[in-house]
This record gives sequence, C-alpha cells and structure tokens, in this order.
Amino acid sequence: MNDFLAHDPDKFEDPLANFDPKEYESSLQEALVERTVGQIPPQPAQRISPTDTVRDAVQKMAQGNLASLLVVDQQGCVIGIFTERDVLDNVAEQYERVADHAISEVMTADPAVVYDSDPSAAAIASIAVAGHRHVPVLGVGGSLIGTLEPRHVFAFMEKYFDK
Amino acid sequence: MNFRKFLQEERVRSLPLKEPAVVDSHTLVRAAIAAMRTKSLGCAVILGPQQQPLGVFTEHAVVGLLEKSVPLDSTAVSACADPEFHVVKLDDPIAKVWSAVQSGARFVCVVDDQQQLVGLTGQRGLAEFVCECFAREIAVQRLSSPQMKTREGA
Repeated sequence: MNDFLAHDPDKFEDPLANFDPKEYESSLQEALVERTVGQIPPQPAQRISPTDTVRDAVQKMAQGNLASLLVVDQQGCVIGIFTERDVLDNVAEQYERVADHAISEVMTADPAVVYDSDPSAAAIASIAVAGHRHVPVLGVGGSLIGTLEPRHVFAFMEKYFDK
Repeated sequence: MNFRKFLQEERVRSLPLKEPAVVDSHTLVRAAIAAMRTKSLGCAVILGPQQQPLGVFTEHAVVGLLEKSVPLDSTAVSACADPEFHVVKLDDPIAKVWSAVQSGARFVCVVDDQQQLVGLTGQRGLAEFVCECFAREIAVQRLSSPQMKTREGA
C-alpha cells in the first residue's frame, strides 16, 4: 500500500481549509477584477480590408461618423487599426499624395487587444496604460467581437458606483 | 469606497492635466494640425485675446475636412471648431468632467478663476485617474496583441 492510501482519512487536513476568498472594498473594485470584458457592451466592429485605400477609409469614417476602423485580413484576423490619430499623424498633411495608397501603409499594425474573457480592468489598462482609445475585443480563437472605447468602460463602471 | 461620492469630492486639479496645443481663431488648419502633432494631442484649443478658450479643433474634424477636400492652407480653424466644447475650473469636482465625457465630450478644457486656459483633460485623463485609484486591479493587467500565438495565464 502506498503512502497516500495508508493515510488515515480521519487525520486528513484540507490544505485549503483556511483559504479565504479575496475581499473587496467596493463593488466597483470587485467588478474590475471579477467581471470580464465580455460584460462590457462594445461598439460593433467597423472593418476594412488592408488593400482598401486611404481615401476609402477616410470616406467611411467621415460618412459613418466613426473614430476608428479595424483592418481585417481575408482570414478574419485583426492585423491593424486605423484611427483618427493615424489620420492626423500619417495622412492629413499629405492626403493627396497618400489617398490612393493601401490603408496597410498608414495603419497602426498589431494593435493591443483585449479578450472577452479578460478582467474588465484589462480594458481600462489598454486605454490608460497603453494609451489606446479604441481597443478591439476578441473572442475565443481570435474572433472579432467589437471595439471598446472609454465611454463604454465608464458606463460599465457607473453600474457599480453606488453598490 | 463609493466612487460616485469620491468623484464629487476630488477636484479637477487632481487629474493628470495635459499641456494643450493652442491656436487663435485665425490659425490655418494645416498649422493647427502641426501643433497637435507636436504635442501628440487630438485637439488644439482656440484661445481668445485673454487666453480664454473659444473652442476646440479636433482630429475628428480633420477627417471631415479631408473627406470634403477642404483646403488646409486657406481654412481657419474657427470655421471647423467642435460644437461639443466643455470647460471646467480647477476646483470643480471631477464628477463634472465625468459627466461631460459621458455626454459625448472627448476633450475638456480646464481654466483658472480668470477663465484662462491652464490645461486639458477628458477621456484619457479620466482613464488615467481611474487607473491611479485602482492601480492594484488595473496596472497589473497584461496587454495582448492579436499576433500573439500563446497567451500566458489565459
């Protein structure tokens, strides 16, 4: 008989018996850790192909009143993001020269993303720490769910202000 | 901590304020864009003769100007200032900035008692403030890229 089976069950001590679940000072603090990004309603993803032109993107943003577009390849993977900041930094002062170039030349490649299973705090970290105002939300397997902006995260937080 | 009460008690001067890009109402759009890029900001504040904010010119407006092929070298920023223009004082509660942002404002001008511009805040400033308040929950988060094939701890 091995040592485990020889152990007297009456003398067994559960090593987790003294485990106390984490206590939070407020519901908001708890929500930031225990609630997931998937519980923050995002904006539907606005997609564009990497071969679409800068002019296409600018028109789509202006006519749709959009602040960002996600650049998605043929496999459905997010390979970049094109935001108002990219327009300002990479396009505005030379628009006529780059208007017919592919968006992939002026987008921000490999943007920071959050997964719907991440803690909701991850969305705020992407905005406050990494400095991204538009954060793509991915699901299982990298499927694109939407885009989070500060106002979505703040609205989520407000639900826990008074609890 | 009741965060709503906390936002009422804390003053705007506690927020991380940014040094704004400033222009006057006659500044041409191209020059305003250059000022915004220099400061890495998404807007330029249009100031009056007493340094009081008269409006903001945003990168959102730039998209519209490009789409309409508006000439950047002959258009003044005052012709395309953002109608969503919010001003708070240094001693106003942060809750006022929060309300402005949740009503759609991205940028909020901060002025002193003489109504002179002293800084800029808004969505980013609030996010940084929240991060400071909940540093143990937020600052420890791992940031991901879609190109990462494996994710530790996922």
